[in-house]
Amino acid sequence: MEAASIAHAAGHAGEDHHGPPPANKSSRVEAPLLGMLLFIISEVMIFGAFFTAYFFIRIAEGDPWPAPGTKLPVPVALVNTLILISSSFTLHWAETSIKRGNRFGLKAGMLSTFLLGCTFLFIQINEYANIGFAPQDHAQQTIFYSLTGLHGAHVFIGLLILLSVTVRAFRGHYSPDSHRGVDVPGIYWHFVDIMWIVVYTTVYIL
Amino acid sequence: MLNPLRSEDDAFRVLLYVIAVFVVIIALIVILRAIL
Repeated sequence: MEAASIAHAAGHAGEDHHGPPPANKSSRVEAPLLGMLLFIISEVMIFGAFFTAYFFIRIAEGDPWPAPGTKLPVPVALVNTLILISSSFTLHWAETSIKRGNRFGLKAGMLSTFLLGCTFLFIQINEYANIGFAPQDHAQQTIFYSLTGLHGAHVFIGLLILLSVTVRAFRGHYSPDSHRGVDVPGIYWHFVDIMWIVVYTTVYIL
Repeated sequence: MLNPLRSEDDAFRVLLYVIAVFVVIIALIVILRAIL
């Protein structure tokens, strides 16, 4: 027993490891990336549920879209779409900048991405305030507010994450060798952007 | 193979593909509405 504990201590003395043992790593994918992958898969399912409601009332029920007597602000939403797409480009600029060691590009890219995201959310809230119908008016309006609101909530969460990355960028974090903290939120933001393109196409165009 | 969940780079490229599909869908709808 004593010999075993001495051997155990000797085994540990040879390693330069402090604190708890490393977590079991059963995947070849890095944990932060794997977490984001699983999260986005669950997000796709949530959006899928809302799109099911949308297609149910339009195809199974055959209801007109939008509801009679209502009008969706398609041009404003198109401008908003372009703003959100631009934010993905600025985010990609930030990511490529830090890979090359360009700190100015990282900071400017992150800040402009955050501001573009804020603009998108501001325009959407303004659209809600002036659209002229409420979620309880028709099934179509419920779906409209649900789909765009679900996406808006994702933009809000994304903005909190982007703010954290931006603050860290201005504080001198990240380097060409260590930029996972920009990479993983970037995947989430591009996902939110792609989801908006799908939401915009189905809600405003189709 | 392109995997949007592997890196920011891949996610951005998928975004570009989605934009291309989006533009095609809008163009088709505009053309069909003009014809029908």
